[in-house]
Amino acid sequence: MNDLDPQIEDGTGLRVAPALAEIKLSVAARTRPRPVWLGEVRYTLLSAATIIILLGLWALVTNLFHIPAMVLPSPQSILRHFRTMLLEGYAGHPLWEHVLVSVLRTLTGFSIGVTLAIPLGLWMGYSRTVNAILWPVFGFIRPIPPIAYIPLAILWFGIGEFSKVLLIFVASFNFTVLASAAGMRAVPEQLIRAGTNLGLSRWQMFVSVMLPAAMPQIFTGIKTSIAVSWAVMVAAELIAAQIGLGFIIEDAGTFFRTPEVMIGVAIIGAIGLVFEATVVAIERRVLHWQAKG
Amino acid sequence: MGRIIVDGVSKHYADRRGTPVRALDAVNLAIEEQEIACIVGPSGCGKSTLLNLIAGFDTPSTGEISVDGVQVRGAGPDRIVVFQSPSLFPWLTARENVILGPRKRGVPASRYEEDARTMLASVGLEHFASRYPYELSGGMRQRLQIARALVNHPRVLLMDEPFAALDFQNRLAMQELVMRLWSRIHPTIFFITHDVEEAIFLGDRVYVMTASPGRIKATITVPFAKPRSIEVVTSPGFVAIKDQVLRLIRGEFARSDRAAEQAGAERSG
Repeated sequence: MNDLDPQIEDGTGLRVAPALAEIKLSVAARTRPRPVWLGEVRYTLLSAATIIILLGLWALVTNLFHIPAMVLPSPQSILRHFRTMLLEGYAGHPLWEHVLVSVLRTLTGFSIGVTLAIPLGLWMGYSRTVNAILWPVFGFIRPIPPIAYIPLAILWFGIGEFSKVLLIFVASFNFTVLASAAGMRAVPEQLIRAGTNLGLSRWQMFVSVMLPAAMPQIFTGIKTSIAVSWAVMVAAELIAAQIGLGFIIEDAGTFFRTPEVMIGVAIIGAIGLVFEATVVAIERRVLHWQAKG
Repeated sequence: MGRIIVDGVSKHYADRRGTPVRALDAVNLAIEEQEIACIVGPSGCGKSTLLNLIAGFDTPSTGEISVDGVQVRGAGPDRIVVFQSPSLFPWLTARENVILGPRKRGVPASRYEEDARTMLASVGLEHFASRYPYELSGGMRQRLQIARALVNHPRVLLMDEPFAALDFQNRLAMQELVMRLWSRIHPTIFFITHDVEEAIFLGDRVYVMTASPGRIKATITVPFAKPRSIEVVTSPGFVAIKDQVLRLIRGEFARSDRAAEQAGAERSG
């Protein structure tokens, strides 16, 4: 009840404070100063510990109990299969070829999609007329999950390369076009005024003010697009492919080859991470000014 | 150079509910060359509307604005605005921000690079030329905005509460900087503020505005010769003018409070 009384607090504080300071000093004098780097590295070590513990649990469970390899193979069995896949490939193709095909399909669709979507999106954001004409199309398409087009793509264009690249193109195009349009619309009025005030022409304003100001949102669109493109690629390969990472997990699954499925999934995850990290690294360089204020 | 004539200018627009707002009503102003004109008044009295009209961001509903006898049609680098909120291009360095205008208008690089160096030095940012705005303090950003404005050799500098977001010490330093820069290049300055002391320290004339409709209520001529030193603010003459301006503004506040009450009563009644 009385611990909020300022007089009591002040009194004890005054008497205790010097004593505390002395204790702190003597402690500091006795203990060696802790190396500074440990402070930051501690968190990395904790994250590493999580991974090691999870792997350890997995190894323990799979080796101590009789779990069918089809349900959950042991780590050493996965490593064995991975070695075999590296040496002998999968379904008649070396592993790197599967990876390369999937990556190329994704990057082809993604880069065409983004390259066409950015100018169109910017134009939509710039001109209300263009926006009014095109918005109904993209507005309708936007909420449709890109994998929903897979049957249509197969019906119209068969199960060849074109269908897969087209699906990836559509997915990345949609996300980037809307993000770019939103970015253009969100350019601060104040910056446009400053630009007109300095006597910039319409084209100079577009290139020197509006485009850079819209960059943060364009990058958000690109980040979403690369992730979605990769996901759509896997989905398309699950359904119709003779090569690729999606084909590996589908094919291995059909034949109950769980280790190969898990290896395929892990590779898909790792490459997805690399894509994301690459875009984020480029974004940090281009948009360094966005970090603060 | 830089004579501003505001002749019977009104600005009406409809607010979001569609009710007509008389932001400015028959405003007349004659601001002489090299004059510093300070506008004070309650928020919402149309000060910024007036500035935007002179800048050419917007057009008057009636009346005409001219600078050196030429009617204002659209914005241009002869009338540069220094905004209160950040309007620097965050992806450009201090130097790049300053040279953007002249570079895009086709001024030779040799000239604008030289001008940019001079201007950055005159606002004390010569060592920050390659820094980005986010690496600068609030006061430095406003100094950079002033440098970016002056590099265009404007006839008129339009300042829209440029120091309102700064702390007291920074604000004083900025006011002295404006005085120093003025005494070197003599632009006409149209300066909006709600800081009465700032208005009297800088202004040759202080215009007190009233709200709804926005009008010029009084014009006070400040007799001290420019350039002024900051000590002037404690002189008896200064204090007397401050007292006069404050009384005018206080009367205005009381009036707008009454108007708001009345409007409230009408709405509820």
